[in-house]
Amino acid sequence: MAIGLTLTYLTTKVPNFAYGSFVTIGIYTSYTLYRLDALNPYLSTPIAFLVGAVSSVGMYLGILRVLARRGSSLVALMISTLALDIAFIGIFGIYTDNLYNHYQLIDSKSFYQLGGDFTLYGVPGLTYVAPISLGCITTILFILLTQTKFGIAMRASVENPSLARVVGINVEKTYVFAWLLAGGFAALAGSFYTLALPGSVDSGSKLIVEIFSASVLGGLASIYGAVLGGLIIGASEILVTDAGTQLFGSWVLVYQKGIPLVIMVITLLFLPQGLVSIDWRNLPRSVSSINLRKIRQMVRRR
Amino acid sequence: MVFNLLTFLVDLGTTYALYLAVSLTLNLEAGFAGVPNFGKVMFVAGGAAIAGSVIGRLSVIVLGINVHGDYNAVVPQLIPQIDPLLASNFVLSMALLLLGIVLAAGMGGVMGYFASYPAIHLREDYLGMLLLAAAQLFQIFLGGWTPFINGTQGIEVPDLFHWADVGVGVRDAVILVFLAAFAFLVYVYVERVARSPLGRTLRAVRDNEVAARALGKNDVVIRRDVIIVASAISGMAGALLTFYAGAVGAETWTRITWTFWIWVMVIMGGAANNGGVALGAFFFTLLFKVVDQVKFYFSGYIPFDVNWLEYMSFAALLILILAFRPGGILPEKSSLTLPWRTVAEIVQANQRSPVRTDQPTEPLGGERRSEADRPG
Repeated sequence: MAIGLTLTYLTTKVPNFAYGSFVTIGIYTSYTLYRLDALNPYLSTPIAFLVGAVSSVGMYLGILRVLARRGSSLVALMISTLALDIAFIGIFGIYTDNLYNHYQLIDSKSFYQLGGDFTLYGVPGLTYVAPISLGCITTILFILLTQTKFGIAMRASVENPSLARVVGINVEKTYVFAWLLAGGFAALAGSFYTLALPGSVDSGSKLIVEIFSASVLGGLASIYGAVLGGLIIGASEILVTDAGTQLFGSWVLVYQKGIPLVIMVITLLFLPQGLVSIDWRNLPRSVSSINLRKIRQMVRRR
Repeated sequence: MVFNLLTFLVDLGTTYALYLAVSLTLNLEAGFAGVPNFGKVMFVAGGAAIAGSVIGRLSVIVLGINVHGDYNAVVPQLIPQIDPLLASNFVLSMALLLLGIVLAAGMGGVMGYFASYPAIHLREDYLGMLLLAAAQLFQIFLGGWTPFINGTQGIEVPDLFHWADVGVGVRDAVILVFLAAFAFLVYVYVERVARSPLGRTLRAVRDNEVAARALGKNDVVIRRDVIIVASAISGMAGALLTFYAGAVGAETWTRITWTFWIWVMVIMGGAANNGGVALGAFFFTLLFKVVDQVKFYFSGYIPFDVNWLEYMSFAALLILILAFRPGGILPEKSSLTLPWRTVAEIVQANQRSPVRTDQPTEPLGGERRSEADRPG
């Protein structure tokens, strides 16, 4: 999930508060297909990816780009993504009401985890599939960004849009593609989510703490950082909660979400540029992009 | 459903006063100081929760009522005992009210300090993200920690305005007067800050951090102080809402009701313009309450809950405003300093003062004027 947020942040420099909604889109795509067509959530992931990608691109082209071209400030763009998040909650509400009325799905508002997961050696299949798909996504992204011409163009337009334009890269096209990937990944994560955890209309919005923490920990400016951040946040949340439950009892479970926030605060205090700023092959790249962004911002403010 | 205009107006006024106070604090933060507070709900809820939790327990102790068992569990039975006692003791009621407000202000301020500390040195997007995430966590915390306000179920709060409950609607009217006075005070305060040199400093920090720093303004301290003050006022508003509603629970406070709507008010009215924000809050509250009144007439015709449509339409409204009128109804006015001619007249008036001779030896008002008097 954090990969997508970082992608959108890289292209538009706006933290996307509506990002959790794309996760919800994935959750509900899987839910609907499972309930109505009894489609296994694994099989519905490509559809979820598509739906999420389309709505993400729609959001970027239809609203954010329009606002950005009209010269909205950063805060205005942030608030517009918050508005979109609210609008998405409204859309999900209407959608689930319709499911309830037309198909008598009484658990449409909040449901327990869906069936359909297989077990392998007594462990749910998701424990294998999720890491493998994460590995695949990261590898594909890595190959795309470093080996293909389009990926290099994408990186160029992220790092220096004006120079990329001069060279003849269609910057807009790469941005749209980044948003497409972002929405798709979020929906993909959402559709995996249904296999393991109960879902509801606002489960995406509730995930925003983890998503932000993972991205900030990863450094917001690096996709690889986001992968690392997501892993650390997810693992630490589960490990620390498990240890806490054993030490203090089950009441610790409620405050599970506190862990990502604490990590985020620590990151911001000691390592504001995220994990990638410690030691990473791409250190010069991330530093230079951050400096550029600061300079650009100063210029814009003036 | 019988539509009662007077009840509607009192309800409208009460809600407006609360929203006005909170949106003015957001205007102080986001409009003037450029601090995008996406966690407003946290501070309002914090004030509301501490006031509801502490004042209820305190009134039980002060009035000497025996509590058998867990306070949260027995509070529905306690309230009928507490309320008449409080009603007969006006001074105690008001003292508790005041204490609740002070507590809430303290809570809001402390939370503001801690929430802003990690991100305040960073850019506005980090701050926004952190505050949003912190608010989400605080909500989970309120829902999870049952000893505090009994989680999502909430607890009832003693009615500190029970002395006014002498006729139909009198209590509501008294509370309206109270809240209106509170909102007015907040307005006067924020307006005074905005017109003071501090207000201009805030705008300077917002518009050009580097230049403000170069002129010796500590932007980090300024932003932190603004968050603390605004959060304290938000906490007070939360406490007042708790006392008005007579109950507090974790479900009341969501990102939509107390962060997003407040932002809609500020953006709609015009950021960094208090009059505009007051207008925006009024239009929003009016729209909201009218929709509230009429939406049940439609519920038969639409195959879904009307609330969802409301969410969508307010979101659409906000985006339309951002796109077509980013300044809001009343855009920010540039703060006017005195025109040069007036300054020159003041200087001349001082020069013609009786003490003055040919040589500017002892000007009237100390160092600063002597600097201004010097020709060239």
